[in-house]
Amino acid sequence: MIPSAILTVFAAASLTNVFPQIAPHDHFSFSGSNMLAAQIQQGAPADVFASANTKLPDQLYAQGLVEKPVVFTRNELILIVPKSNPARIHSVFDLQKPGVKLVIGAVGVPVGDYTRVVLHNLGLDDVLGNVVSQETDVREVLAKVSLGEADAGFVYVTDAQSVRGQVATIGIRWSAQPIVQYAVAVVKSSHHLAAARAFVHHLLGKAAQAKLRAAGFLAPR
Amino acid sequence: MIRRAPVFAAALVALAFLALPIVAIFARLSWGNLAHELSSSLVTDALVVSLKTTVVAQVLVLAFGTPAAYVLATHRFRGRSLVVTLVELPIVLPPAVAGIGLLAAFGRFGLLHTNLPFTQAAVVLAVVFVSGPLYVRQAIAAFEAVDETLVAASRTLGARPLKTFFRVVVPLASGGLGAGEALAFARGLGEFGATIMFAGSLQGVTQTLPLAVYAEFDVDFHTAVALGGLLVLVSAVLLVTLKWLASSSTSAFRFAPSTSS
Repeated sequence: MIPSAILTVFAAASLTNVFPQIAPHDHFSFSGSNMLAAQIQQGAPADVFASANTKLPDQLYAQGLVEKPVVFTRNELILIVPKSNPARIHSVFDLQKPGVKLVIGAVGVPVGDYTRVVLHNLGLDDVLGNVVSQETDVREVLAKVSLGEADAGFVYVTDAQSVRGQVATIGIRWSAQPIVQYAVAVVKSSHHLAAARAFVHHLLGKAAQAKLRAAGFLAPR
Repeated sequence: MIRRAPVFAAALVALAFLALPIVAIFARLSWGNLAHELSSSLVTDALVVSLKTTVVAQVLVLAFGTPAAYVLATHRFRGRSLVVTLVELPIVLPPAVAGIGLLAAFGRFGLLHTNLPFTQAAVVLAVVFVSGPLYVRQAIAAFEAVDETLVAASRTLGARPLKTFFRVVVPLASGGLGAGEALAFARGLGEFGATIMFAGSLQGVTQTLPLAVYAEFDVDFHTAVALGGLLVLVSAVLLVTLKWLASSSTSAFRFAPSTSS
């Protein structure tokens, strides 16, 4: 029997489209995972924390703020450019061209950290010199590129899928991809612990996993 | 006297509520590390960006806002109240709406197709847009309060309009102009929403002090608190300046005894 409390779920911005499909009756606060973790550390009343990495939930677990985190899905990074492609970027290596306006996540924001790993793996660390803005979550990167204000940005494959038609995508080779694992944890101060645990259980179940897969997320392996 | 008790109790709650967050910022400061936290490149870069953009923005506000306010104060024409309302609108506009508006106007695919987003000029525009109206509004009131007989006297004594403006009108309105400018300066320094949407956030280029507070909140809370304390101090200095200017403006008006009404 699933308890019927309405939960407050703090979830990574990249889960904005898919989580309401999985749990239509719960309340969500979507933001950069690091912002959400900071809010939980300050005592925000969350029942569940779903992060776009394992680092932040592990940190909160070590601090005794959440129960043991579980990986529930994975993702990959992709480069997006506006449909009009004003800077004529056709490969990640075109990001080296002088004057390219690249928008990425800030350091500490999961997508920002992953982006730096990708650039490093591709030997493109100097591309960071073309960064014109460091955003607080992946949806801000998505917005600035899909609006056409930025020439390019690194987002998750699932974000690119959610604005299909507005942006063009450029794949990143498999060997340069970072390990993008999403972990979820029950917040210990929750007043609905049973319902929160049921949410995590549901997330790992077949129905929720199918919805994640349909949105482009990968199996937790 | 007993009936007054609830009033005093309510007043006490209000005062405590308003003072508490300010006090709390200073209570949470780790004084030992303060110098270290405030000397990080993130803080010094943000301070430089904030000062630079605020100063440039306020020069623009004064240079364009003063003539605009003077025209609106001294001319009566059809649609004037509509124009004044439009000028005042950014004051009550949510900052996020201001950001959308600036993108729609000056974005790469905006009405004017500019390359301004992500530049320091974009920060300046955002600050001018949200803070300028505060100055213009106050300046209109200040110019309207200037005794017209003194202006007329200056003209009959042979002073040219421009000379009259700078030697008579501006000095008489200076209290109100200064107060309006201090208000605009403070609002500009605190500008956040329109800036992060229109100019983005990049250390040393577009990351102002409020943007740095937001960025540091989830990275290093202590630095965020230290930055907050710094902004409280700067704002307090501005507020005191504002009050001082406002009080000196009333004495300036008393200085005009020639009003025969």
